[in-house]
Amino acid sequence: MAKTILIVDDSASVRQVVSIALKGAGYDVIAGVDGKDALAKLNGQRIHLIISDVNMPNMDGITFVAEARKLPAYKFTPIIMLTTESQEEKKRQAQAAGARAWVTKPFQPEQMLSAVAKLIAP
Amino acid sequence: MSADDDMREALDTFVTEARDLVQQLEDGLLELEAHPSAAETVNTVFRAAHTLKGSSGLFGLRHLVQFTHVVETVLGSVREGDLGVSPGLVSSLLPCADHIGAMIEGLAAGRLEPDAAQAAEGARLLAALEPYLPDGQGALATDGADPAGGDPAPERAWRLSLRFGPDSLRNGMDPLSFLRYLASIGTVSRVSTDAAALPAAEEMDPETCYLAFEVELLSGAPKEEIEAVFEFVREDSDIRIVPADHQLDAYVWAIRAMPESDRVGDVLIGSGVVTELEMTEALRIQQEQAARSGTQPVPIGEILVEHGIVPRPIVDAALNRQRKTTESRSQDTTTIRIDAARLDRLIDLVGELVIAQSSTGLRAGAGEAQGEVMRLVDEVRHSALALRMVPIGTTLRRFERVVRDVGVELHKEVSLVITGGDAEMDKALVERISDPLLHLVRNSLDHGIEAPAERQRHGKSGQGTLRLNAYHDAGSIVIEVSDDGRGLDRERILAKAVERGVVAAGAVLSDQEVYDLIFEPGFSTAETVSNLSGRGVGMDVVRRNVTALRGSIEVDTARGVGTTIRIRLPLTLAIIDGFLVGVGSASFIVPLDRVTECVELPPGPLGRDCMNLRGEVLPFIRLRELFDIPGEPARRQNVVIVEQSGQRTGLVVDALLGELQTVIKPLGVLFSRLKCISGSTILGSGEIALILDVGPLVADHSEREHLLRARPAA
Amino acid sequence: MTTRELRRVALDGELTIMTAAESKERLLTALPGSGGLRVDLAGVEEIDTAGLQVLLLTRREAESMSLPFELTAPAPGVAAVLALAGLTTAEEQ
Repeated sequence: MAKTILIVDDSASVRQVVSIALKGAGYDVIAGVDGKDALAKLNGQRIHLIISDVNMPNMDGITFVAEARKLPAYKFTPIIMLTTESQEEKKRQAQAAGARAWVTKPFQPEQMLSAVAKLIAP
Repeated sequence: MSADDDMREALDTFVTEARDLVQQLEDGLLELEAHPSAAETVNTVFRAAHTLKGSSGLFGLRHLVQFTHVVETVLGSVREGDLGVSPGLVSSLLPCADHIGAMIEGLAAGRLEPDAAQAAEGARLLAALEPYLPDGQGALATDGADPAGGDPAPERAWRLSLRFGPDSLRNGMDPLSFLRYLASIGTVSRVSTDAAALPAAEEMDPETCYLAFEVELLSGAPKEEIEAVFEFVREDSDIRIVPADHQLDAYVWAIRAMPESDRVGDVLIGSGVVTELEMTEALRIQQEQAARSGTQPVPIGEILVEHGIVPRPIVDAALNRQRKTTESRSQDTTTIRIDAARLDRLIDLVGELVIAQSSTGLRAGAGEAQGEVMRLVDEVRHSALALRMVPIGTTLRRFERVVRDVGVELHKEVSLVITGGDAEMDKALVERISDPLLHLVRNSLDHGIEAPAERQRHGKSGQGTLRLNAYHDAGSIVIEVSDDGRGLDRERILAKAVERGVVAAGAVLSDQEVYDLIFEPGFSTAETVSNLSGRGVGMDVVRRNVTALRGSIEVDTARGVGTTIRIRLPLTLAIIDGFLVGVGSASFIVPLDRVTECVELPPGPLGRDCMNLRGEVLPFIRLRELFDIPGEPARRQNVVIVEQSGQRTGLVVDALLGELQTVIKPLGVLFSRLKCISGSTILGSGEIALILDVGPLVADHSEREHLLRARPAA
Repeated sequence: MTTRELRRVALDGELTIMTAAESKERLLTALPGSGGLRVDLAGVEEIDTAGLQVLLLTRREAESMSLPFELTAPAPGVAAVLALAGLTTAEEQ
């Protein structure tokens, strides 16, 4: 059974391209447009991996990750954060919130695929 | 829908989104022109550029990524407050927004690449942004889209020891997943699971990771790529990647065939057996160990072997490679290591030989043969002292890493230039000057050299230069730490000194006097305490350390041009140029570099402890009283005037016996509490002379005087 | 001599960190009083390190009680993971 990945980014094009790449590699994908929207999607359904941007309107990625970790169904879900080179401080905050994996923007779809593949098989 | 259709649709989304972002960029810039310090607007504009760059990257639109990267960098400087919003800046940025817009419209019309006119326009716009860029941050390193072709690398066998951190599972990091991924970069020929760490059933926490894995991997990927598989768990886990045993010979041969290098690390990294990351980690361990034990750092090769990063045969091969380099470079000057204690013993003996010889010389009317013996003894002494001399270069080169690391930490670009590294000085001194130098270097990096943006505003190159220079001058060694930074701020130092009560308000001081204030205790002008040099160790400690080594320190500075701190030290601590004086039957040696002049003690009644020297009041110390020497003072006494920290004091003695160069013998532990005596020496006559430690002597005396004055009735 | 029968425990769905605590409980409580365990993995769709650890722990406990421990019918993906840890299935023996 294909594994499910949640991608959270306020940029529609990022969501679309990442979804296309992940679906192409055999994953199921659902998307959230910001932290708040994504949190609403965490309704107990099995999600194997979360990919989240940091800077987003309504609820930023760090708050979202911290909130997700509080839900029993997602307390062990692997999380990839989308960061920028200049965001060391954000990275530390995200780490404290529970994220351990990073992909630096701008990235190519292949880079995302390889990061995902390290964490979960399709 | 096919994947191609999906991508076309995503591209449409991007175009719509990008139009919106370009609009935000443009509106924001116009807004900024009206209200240059609107923080929220700065943020919006920055984020628009940032998002544009991120999305362009996903579609592989390299031209857009590179172009928006520069715009984003400039806006980043504005956001960080390093760059102010000026009409000029806005006028340079607005056409950039237009250009991005044009590129997006091109995209909408199906053109993925800019046409020639657009490319030229882009280059012209970026050139106009050049002045606003922090040095060297303009170009975005784009890794070539086409992976290096050519022959596939030969496969190598690796042994991976993977001990994942106990929290790995809870963090969502599944070791099995990484193992599975390994198969995508090579062939996993064997895996064994080590469950030895599994505790008793009742203590076993099902969410804690207890398993470790040994993997044999056959892969043509460079070690860096194998290392990168574990990048997300590296921090919490123990990941070791070493060549498989049967591969060791191949590395040894490869290393033998490598070009010469004087650093083992370079040889090992070059051979592909160690990654930069591992080397950095090993260097960190090396430094930590040395700092903790206070001893010489353990050779890096030993650390690599000890921590299981590189097998010993490979380290040995690399060491051989290095030794060969050293040998071939230094040709005839082969070196041997000697226990420092043995060397000290030799120098001690030579010292006694010099003394014994001079006493024979004193008695006999020196014949020709005796003159020859004297000359030889003198030469032996010089050569013996030279044995302790080492070039200072090794110590100075150690700062390369400090400069690099601190530069990264402070986001400053600094190049280090070392000159005069072959100037020699006493080994003991080299060791003891290293800490003060480190402090000066950090100080320069921290407070002297400005951030790249600030440098550029002042028309300097964004990259700062730190110079370490050493040279011999008149029997001393001089070490200079210079930077081309902002220089000392005379007014600020003076203001701070007044505030701290170091100088009186309204005092008239020369520039040099003001600059010297930085060496006063508790004096620090840095308004924000950075975590580098602001740790309470001030320049006063540096000066105290230097003075303790019988050295001096001075500062040269020019506002906006830079600062040079100059340390002057004796070449060795083992000999001293002294001035021999007699009090009764006792002899003392005053370090010659402290003596400014000698005068006769004026006859007749005097103040208790001061005299008139050319119209100035000169306090003095009667050594006879200080050391309780029995007997009557000589009829005509002399005063040796010494200077310490700008303060002049006289030492009253019976006889001036002249200058001499002498070997210092340290005092035994029994005398270690004597504050005013730094050592002793044996005179040619066989008598012992004590060497006066001028600093404490003068300080102690003025303290006593204060006490006496405070209790006049006592 | 009477040999008590192997007790059969069927696991299904995920054998992962999400279910590890529960799986540990089920397997370990099934051991005492049994003639050994036969764990049916046919329904297991997914296994991770946490799941693998629980199986290894149960095997060790069974061995310490001198009881047989068998795994049966894993899906190919699960069987591959078991092989990594040297856990063989009844079919392979």
